[in-house]
Amino acid sequence: MAAAEVTTPKHPASGRTITVKVKRQRTPDAAAVTETFAIPYRPNMNITSVLGEIALNPTTTEGKGTTPIAYDANCLEEICGSCAMLINGKAMMACSALVDKLTGPDGNGAITLAPLSKFPVVRDLAVDRSVLFENLKRVKAWVPVDGTYDLGPAPRQFPQVQEQRYPLSNCISCTICMEVCPQFNDATGFVGAATIAQAKLFNMDPSGAVLKEERLRALAGGGGVQECSFAQNCVQACPKQLPLTEAISDMGRDVFVQQVKDFFRR
Amino acid sequence: MAAAAPVAPPDNAQASGQQTGKRKGVQPLRAGEGHSFLLRRLHSLSGIVPIGAFLVEHIVSNFEAVNGPLAYAQQVKFLNGLPLVRVLEWAFIFIPLAYHALYGVYIGLRGRGNVNVYPWAGNWGYFTQRITGYIAFAYIIQHVWRQRFSGVSLPEHPGAAFHKVQVELHNPWMLAIYVIAMIATCWHFAYGIWLFAAKWGITPGNKARKQFGYVCAAVGTGLCVLGLIGMYAFISPKYANAPDDVMPAQPAGIVLPAPTTAAPGTTNPKQLGEVR
Repeated sequence: MAAAEVTTPKHPASGRTITVKVKRQRTPDAAAVTETFAIPYRPNMNITSVLGEIALNPTTTEGKGTTPIAYDANCLEEICGSCAMLINGKAMMACSALVDKLTGPDGNGAITLAPLSKFPVVRDLAVDRSVLFENLKRVKAWVPVDGTYDLGPAPRQFPQVQEQRYPLSNCISCTICMEVCPQFNDATGFVGAATIAQAKLFNMDPSGAVLKEERLRALAGGGGVQECSFAQNCVQACPKQLPLTEAISDMGRDVFVQQVKDFFRR
Repeated sequence: MAAAAPVAPPDNAQASGQQTGKRKGVQPLRAGEGHSFLLRRLHSLSGIVPIGAFLVEHIVSNFEAVNGPLAYAQQVKFLNGLPLVRVLEWAFIFIPLAYHALYGVYIGLRGRGNVNVYPWAGNWGYFTQRITGYIAFAYIIQHVWRQRFSGVSLPEHPGAAFHKVQVELHNPWMLAIYVIAMIATCWHFAYGIWLFAAKWGITPGNKARKQFGYVCAAVGTGLCVLGLIGMYAFISPKYANAPDDVMPAQPAGIVLPAPTTAAPGTTNPKQLGEVR
């Protein structure tokens, strides 16, 4: 600790420090190492502010100077979906993960940070989640209104439909539902709850419904809705409380009906 | 003008996709490709009908053991007397069961259970469904081999059924295996009905799923209790040391009526001797 005393500036804080262990890797192919930091405690800290403190003074507890920790973040208020990571081993958003809830019953427990385990690491806590974007493209999760002329106003949506769609539209593409899913892995190539929920969202849109059959056929492909085994981790872990299991159940039925129709009519 | 340096790591799809043909990490949806939807739904359906239906029939039939060796023998004789019984057996029991078991193991091996990290009820259900499936798989292999395809052949000797099971269950190790397998199988079936309703979109809402969960729990518990009571009949003192065979042999093919002549050595001409 003597070396740390020399390099760590004194903070005007309570004197209490938080121990943070961060799993880091410099490049996508480099070996992972764990670095430990002691962060001065302030009330109501979240993991974003912890990472900010480390960036202010990137020195490990061994007194070794290092680089600030790379991680994706944008809005810092759980709306952009960028800062998902493993906090104490569980997938959470760094911005909404409160330090007071993570340091154990006596408040002295170390906090561990690691990148999401099912996505290729770019650097440190930043991972490549482009598989979600790719999946959203493959189910055509959009409303096709691009054209060379004015298509006029959108069809009317009943309030009941709006009420069903609104919760699904809250998805922030954080990929936590995929990270916690036992079926989302290299073996299955499961599409994940987020994409299925977005397919339902756009199927229920009066204009988006024009692509409904294409979305349902896409979701019957390899890694589609059938790979869900209803562990229901997605709905437990979702930071935005999307009704993911309901969406999967509904889409499971719609995909099946579409498959039967296609079998007899195509 | 010099080319601008890349500001971010190259896109995964372009970076590794063009060079190796495969992205890093989990692969995206193979939209509309393959037959896994059909195979997976067939697996789900086969667990309800015919396998689940057979499980109910099997447990209800075995419950007949409560009424003793002869009643049990008559139940076995009735089932083996169904038209096209061997076709029924293969088409509605063995083949679907083999498919459900093998595809189920395939599903199980491709999952990455994480109940140690996320110990939530649904995740326990996911884990338990796989464990009970493996238990049922191992149990059914030995059960079918030892009770159906080895030892005295019950389709021709339904009268020997009670004794055959009784001998099996008098081994305490086998009894333990049977009890564990009964609980595991009923759990697997009951939770399987619940999963079926959830996956096929029959119970999409949270409330519907929760309430149907109670129904499935009741069905599973009832079935399990029925099975365990039926099992107890074989080891209860009431039918201790049941006869080897309580009924004439039932040979396949054309069966002549039982002889009406008194067997040698009998004193009552109306009471026929045992016909072998």
